[in-house]
Amino acid sequence: MKKAIEIALGIVTSVGGFLEIGSITTAAQAGALFQFRLVWAIILGGVCITFLVEQSGRLSAVSGHTVPDAIRERFGFNYFLFLLVVLAAVTLLVLGAEIGGVCVALEMATGVSFQWWAIPVAFMMWLIIWKGTFSVIEDGTAILGLVTLCFIVGAIVMHPPWKQVAVGALPTLPAHDRLRYWFIAVSILGASVSPYLMFFYSSGAIEDDWKEDYINVNRVIAVSGMSFGTCISVAVLVLAAMVFLPRGIQVEHYSQLALILRDAFGRWGFWLFISSLFVACLGAAMEITLQLSYMVAQGFGWNWSKNQRPKDEARFSLTYTVFIILGALLVVVGIDPLKLTIFSMALTAATLPVAIVPFLFLMNDEEYVEEHTNGWIGNVAVIAIITLAFVLAVVTIPLEIFGGG
Amino acid sequence: MDLARDCLDTQLVDLNCRHMGRVDGIVIEIEDGEQPRVAFVESGVVTQAERLHPRLGRLAARLAKRWGVAESDPYRIPWAEVTPTGVNVTVGVEAEKTPAFAWEKWLRAKIIGRIPGA
Amino acid sequence: MAKREIKVEQLIGKRVYAANGRRVGHLEEVRAAMRHGECFVEEYLIGSYAVFERLAAISIGRALLGKVGAYREGGGYRVPWDKLDLSDPSRPRLLCPVEELEKLHG
Repeated sequence: MKKAIEIALGIVTSVGGFLEIGSITTAAQAGALFQFRLVWAIILGGVCITFLVEQSGRLSAVSGHTVPDAIRERFGFNYFLFLLVVLAAVTLLVLGAEIGGVCVALEMATGVSFQWWAIPVAFMMWLIIWKGTFSVIEDGTAILGLVTLCFIVGAIVMHPPWKQVAVGALPTLPAHDRLRYWFIAVSILGASVSPYLMFFYSSGAIEDDWKEDYINVNRVIAVSGMSFGTCISVAVLVLAAMVFLPRGIQVEHYSQLALILRDAFGRWGFWLFISSLFVACLGAAMEITLQLSYMVAQGFGWNWSKNQRPKDEARFSLTYTVFIILGALLVVVGIDPLKLTIFSMALTAATLPVAIVPFLFLMNDEEYVEEHTNGWIGNVAVIAIITLAFVLAVVTIPLEIFGGG
Repeated sequence: MDLARDCLDTQLVDLNCRHMGRVDGIVIEIEDGEQPRVAFVESGVVTQAERLHPRLGRLAARLAKRWGVAESDPYRIPWAEVTPTGVNVTVGVEAEKTPAFAWEKWLRAKIIGRIPGA
Repeated sequence: MAKREIKVEQLIGKRVYAANGRRVGHLEEVRAAMRHGECFVEEYLIGSYAVFERLAAISIGRALLGKVGAYREGGGYRVPWDKLDLSDPSRPRLLCPVEELEKLHG
């Protein structure tokens, strides 16, 4: 029974981790411009992150070590620091985008410009992390995150041509805006295959005290959680294709995005969208903050459990405080949250190889995963994902320049 | 035991299972004609910086002497006090009382501990 | 000469030279063993591709690196502690001919 509840919570949590400003925005842009043509990118991203999340969880459950721990131990201090600097730089931008998302939701609700909300939002995040235990943060955002199911309901209510949606699961080239098409595809992949998600998941496994007998629980959570998240993203895309495409709206501002649920739910749609955006972004912002601080603490060997009092792990507490301030600053200075989101998602895609290559080695290292090393399916998947990651790393910057605008 | 693979970069854990940094360095002592002996493990920013670049290490050492709060950086643990336990290295001391926790204690006293609710 | 200190983390990855100045490979591991409560260095392992070899201890690493030609069976040597001159730690030098060394892999 206890495990059943844990599985349910775990699934909801991973949905929360999956759905954030990046996946909502990129899916909406894809639908608005290319109808159902980019469904495949969301599914591909979902499959990749499922494999990586499952492996992160397995590594932690069996070894009692997180992915960043293992990277430091196997690849040494210098590689770890390199990874940390690259990830921290990109993830801070993503954090700024998430905080921006929360602020935009508040702007839509109150009419007060998003910049003014950055500091109150940052303070609220900090307070929750400061006072809350890990399970309060994890389960709280997860359960509130269920509001995002409204996208699925909305998509169904709109009666989309499901056959055409299914056809979108296979890649086809559009007749127009090809560069833009590929740029959005890359952004979608960057939004779904985010290193912070798998590192956070592996730290969560330690916080929740997973042991070797959680391997199956982990598998169920990873697969259902990520598929569930993928469904919500697809629903966002479908909604955008039904609502924005016929009206010629290209989603260049968040205020346009708020209309996405109006056809399905009328006036309520506006408020449903605002609460979804608020909850999803707040949850993601806190997970990102924690993940970055976990990674620093793990790499340098500090104490890092969120279940201890702040003064018992002063360095860890200071680290997340600083990250929240830096993330909020990006919003305070008035960088457009939508541009920041798109830019940071593509940049995430560009940095994937450094984070993913270690998986291939760690998941076959018996000192960590004992007899639970990757089978051939797992290894083929990781090699395929690494190949994809290198392709993304090479094409992202040129696409950003020629297809991003 | 393979020092680089099994000891370097592993987690240091104290008597009470508190994390107290990582094995950032391992010092061996050589006397002519004698078999080299593993003398210390090192932990601390200076050793980390040294691994990136020797010049960075010297800079870190200078800064640590001037601004650091630890009485010794890097913190050296004699090999006799160290027990490799699988993926961790256990040290027979209390982390709170060692230079490994100097910054932790400083931050606690000067900043974090002063915030309400800490 | 008096007691000298050498840091393992600085030694790892250094290029090792034979007595005649030829490159032998990179120092990849320092193997130690406990004796009478103290820990002594027994031997040094030299590989051809240093960092990769640490990862190649894992079977998938070996298989992959073999495919890209970055790993060769028999590419490394075991050097007993008294056969390596560390008086200049940045330039470890063999004290015996390479042929006398035991091969590392099989």
